[in-house]
Amino acid sequence: MSVWEIVELARHQDRPYSLDYIRRLAPDFIELHGDRLSADDPALIGGVGTWHGRTTIFLGHQKGRSLKERVARNWGMMHPEGYRKALRLAHHAAKFGFPIVSLIDTPGAYPGAGAEERGIAAAIAHAIMDWFRIPVPIVAAVIGEGGSGGALGMGVADRVIMLENSIYSVASPEAAASIVWRDNSRKVEAAEQLQLTSREILAMGVVEEVVPEPPGSASADYDAAARSLDEALYRHLQPLLEQTATQLLQHRYDRFRYIDSLVHAEPHIGPKID
Amino acid sequence: MIAETHHDEVAIQGGPLPEILLPTNCPGCGIALVMDNLRTHNYVCTECGHHFRLGADVWISLIADNGSWQERWSDVRSHDLLDWTVPKPYQETVERLLEDGLNEAVRTGTCTLSGRPIWLATFDFGFVGGTLSIVAGERLARGMEQAAASGIPYILVSASGGARMQEGVLALMQLAKVNAAVGRLHSARVPYFSILTDPTFGGTAASLALVADINIAEPGAAIGFTGPRVIKQATYADLPPGFQSAEFQLAHGQVDMVLPRTELRPLLAHLLEMYR
Repeated sequence: MSVWEIVELARHQDRPYSLDYIRRLAPDFIELHGDRLSADDPALIGGVGTWHGRTTIFLGHQKGRSLKERVARNWGMMHPEGYRKALRLAHHAAKFGFPIVSLIDTPGAYPGAGAEERGIAAAIAHAIMDWFRIPVPIVAAVIGEGGSGGALGMGVADRVIMLENSIYSVASPEAAASIVWRDNSRKVEAAEQLQLTSREILAMGVVEEVVPEPPGSASADYDAAARSLDEALYRHLQPLLEQTATQLLQHRYDRFRYIDSLVHAEPHIGPKID
Repeated sequence: MIAETHHDEVAIQGGPLPEILLPTNCPGCGIALVMDNLRTHNYVCTECGHHFRLGADVWISLIADNGSWQERWSDVRSHDLLDWTVPKPYQETVERLLEDGLNEAVRTGTCTLSGRPIWLATFDFGFVGGTLSIVAGERLARGMEQAAASGIPYILVSASGGARMQEGVLALMQLAKVNAAVGRLHSARVPYFSILTDPTFGGTAASLALVADINIAEPGAAIGFTGPRVIKQATYADLPPGFQSAEFQLAHGQVDMVLPRTELRPLLAHLLEMYR
């Protein structure tokens, strides 16, 4: 498969979305709404459910399939209110000691005037900073598109895994082409340069695991895809449940502080360490 | 009796500022520019108040007391991790900029400001658009960790287009790396002051630049997450005049103040006095 075919697969409208997974992982899932400040962001699902016998907070970008649903979900692109809702539910999880599962599937945060007016940059910045203070286990999975700061705002976790045909990138190929070439039609070249496929991201040491998808990709068999995701997420969660809050937060800090250490390990391809 | 502030006693510059490339006329008001006048006014047009963009070397001279600057980790280097070749080989771009005397998009070190020790980090928009790279993130995080451990206030000057495309997802991860370190500053109750200059966008705005104890923006600076060109492309919206300006961000609650550059150093000196 070419890189661009993987990008198209990661974005495919038949691909399972967050709710398709969450309902399979926790059939008793109850959705909780609102940031308690001004709004509820439909691009981010949040709620509580029982997962492997344990009450768990689920968060996930949500895309829509029909045009009407896509508009309602804003194509999975969050506004500032979404990040504030996520952090409200993270503090909720911390109060009760519930672990958090975060599913990432977004082209990016919403690039619109309203998002700017209501402080999208600061909302993402505060979310990224605050995740480092949430003293419960967090496991995250990129299930489709992991686009830019909009994805990372939901991706500060103790373990991050990716589905085989998902992508994770500093910017969408279109945005990168627009920035580097000043021409967003160069998206295919940009996608190839960015090294955004799950295997490449794993090789850079940015995620812990790539989860294989069923034959014909996750779109072909939602149940099988959900079983694989469930198994991998739970396997990564288990050792975290044994850690104290202090250990969790220290390890989360170290995970991101030294996330480029594979680069550092090879002096000729990375920054020199004192 | 009202105590006098120390404002008047602090020079507007720490030392003589290096010369910068200037147009012959001010883009703000059209007046013919005189290098020496501008230099002594911190490169703010004396006629219309236009703030010229400054490189890291000028910011260091402007903020640090003369002779106090001690640069750290200047030998950490960028490399072409992704084998990025089109439209320009990334390695060549970086090497050419190094030859031009620019040392990455962020420089950091210690100095004093009006006699008080600080950590200072400053972006340089001239180095690949001041983009947050692994080297930039490493210099920022190390400095913040040391500031947190030693209790020395941290001052940031930003001028950045966001994360560096040519370092891919590892550039994106720098947002988390530096904000984790900002969290250390806050936990250690170390003052963190952020100066946002033109332009501050993308991953830099969405990480360290807007989460300081006090956010100070320069007049007219463009500050936001998504640039206006991309917003127009994505939403077909007409953006009002002044959209994403420093004044817009003040009105929308994102910065504490919009402050002329000529008043910056006295204000920082006073803040360091109050938050000691």
